[in-house]
Amino acid sequence: MSTSVETSPLKAPMLSVDAQRAAMRRRRRLRTGLLLALMTLIAVVMLYPFFFMIVTSFKSENQFLNGTGGFSLSSWSQLAQALPWAHEMLNSTIVCACAIVIILLVSTTAGFAFAKLRFRMSNYILTGIVAAMLIPIQSIVIPLYINAANLHLVNSYFGAVIIYAAIGTPFATFLMTAYYRSLPDEVIEAAIIDGAHYFGVFRRVALPMSVPALVTIAVLQFIQIWDDLLVGLLFLQNPSERTITVGLGALAAGRTTNIPILMAGSLVSAIPAILVFLIFQRFLTTGLTAGVSR
Amino acid sequence: MTTQTATPLGKKPRLMNKRSGISALERERARTGRLMILPAAILVIVVLGVPIGQAIYRSMEQWNGLTATWIGPSAYTHAFSDPTFWRVMENNALLLIAVPFAVLIPLGIAFLLNEKVPGWKVFRSIYFMPTAISWVVIGMVALRFFAQAGPLDSIFSAFGLGFLHPNLLSNQHQALLAVGITFVWSMVGTNTIIFLTGIATLDPSLSEAAQVDGTNAWQRLIHITMPQLRRFILFSSMLTMISAFTALFSLIFVMTGGGPGYGTTTLEFFIYQNAFGQSDFGYGALLGVVLFVIMAVVGLIQLRLLRVDD
Repeated sequence: MSTSVETSPLKAPMLSVDAQRAAMRRRRRLRTGLLLALMTLIAVVMLYPFFFMIVTSFKSENQFLNGTGGFSLSSWSQLAQALPWAHEMLNSTIVCACAIVIILLVSTTAGFAFAKLRFRMSNYILTGIVAAMLIPIQSIVIPLYINAANLHLVNSYFGAVIIYAAIGTPFATFLMTAYYRSLPDEVIEAAIIDGAHYFGVFRRVALPMSVPALVTIAVLQFIQIWDDLLVGLLFLQNPSERTITVGLGALAAGRTTNIPILMAGSLVSAIPAILVFLIFQRFLTTGLTAGVSR
Repeated sequence: MTTQTATPLGKKPRLMNKRSGISALERERARTGRLMILPAAILVIVVLGVPIGQAIYRSMEQWNGLTATWIGPSAYTHAFSDPTFWRVMENNALLLIAVPFAVLIPLGIAFLLNEKVPGWKVFRSIYFMPTAISWVVIGMVALRFFAQAGPLDSIFSAFGLGFLHPNLLSNQHQALLAVGITFVWSMVGTNTIIFLTGIATLDPSLSEAAQVDGTNAWQRLIHITMPQLRRFILFSSMLTMISAFTALFSLIFVMTGGGPGYGTTTLEFFIYQNAFGQSDFGYGALLGVVLFVIMAVVGLIQLRLLRVDD
């Protein structure tokens, strides 16, 4: 950034001002060109999977195997048969929506309490909840599975929703606590003096002020739950309840050899999360870096 | 991040009523507070806390999901003498080699983006986009990419290296390399965003002062910029390490199924295989405890390191 203006002051008088400026412009343009070329190269690497999915999905199986060119819609016309994507995406949507609602409910109330209604031990409880972020799902998945089986919660939306909600709660609570701490106490004190209850202050004052944080949590969780395989694989085994990612995983594990169909399915499954990403990119960025920025 | 904040409400009443008891308002505040954290606390305790306790208990049992016999702590010594266990741990250790790449490449990309060449925001979106797609989809494409006569093969041929036939996934000792490369690729988006945020917090006056003092660009990068980014580099390294240990299940499930042999079986995948492939729930639980201990240690180190420069 700064190197392009580093023309040495000693040499300056030897060149006319115009020639000097022209040289500087040329150098800057060359630099920009090089940077753009490098950035384009990286973009090609990052976009390659999308390119591969799109191109392959529009080939027939033979065209793909023989490596010949050609265009075919056969994989798209057979997709619904191999992967009931519409039904499975509906399942994904139901599970995501319910889990996100629970996460938002418990994390906003808890976050407000931890930030503004502190009581004895509240900091220890907060630490405990946030520390639960360190529990890998693989470490608890066996007891969870047996518990859910005993309660007849395997293969029901409810079991999976509760597990996803619990997994998302520690980080969401951490984020909401930090957010509510940044709200000035005076806002809440004023409402209390006006005779509001603490819960009323939360619902009518704090909650409406925290919409950006809510969107951040919802977007992060949507992508996480939509893309998850392990929990869905174990807790939503029936084809009637399974999510799109589980359906896709099952299709791949079934060693379906028709790669164009697999690529069409992958593409369809990825579209909602990509759309959410493109629309809410800004919120996602805030959420991902919430752990470091103070 | 817990200490810098404003005083909680009602601190003043407590100071005033130090001796004469707590005011009614403060009692109500504490009661409402306890009620409001209850749902989150119950959810976390019941779904995350209790099962980790169960896992520790069950890890000392011979358990197939239905019948269990108590073994005791010797279950651990038994597990640690199993060469397969160490084969799996070796895979985890090897995956850690990918971490520096998954951190430093995005760091370079973030500096590149920060030059703010016209159109850089579009590139930022492109680099970040893979963050939205699932490991299942990534694994599905990666599987074809590394396959025999796949795109990687063609790239090698194009550079006159076709004789190498890098058929990574069919070789027990090379398949992990393919998983590692895919892993690095997937971390680019997240880590680039972390570093872009970090670079935005840099104090330009420090670098300018150093420039006046006659330092070159490299010296400024090493002695001025990197120390300021320390916190962000740490955070991204930890996140990458945690992902390497706990986020690759779907990728391995789709790409290799843990094979060939135990070539790509990491601890998290080994848990799944033992419990849900072979109904050895006791051993699966034990492996889960081992994974939890490793992650807890990583987490504590992170907490320690991030706190030091506060």
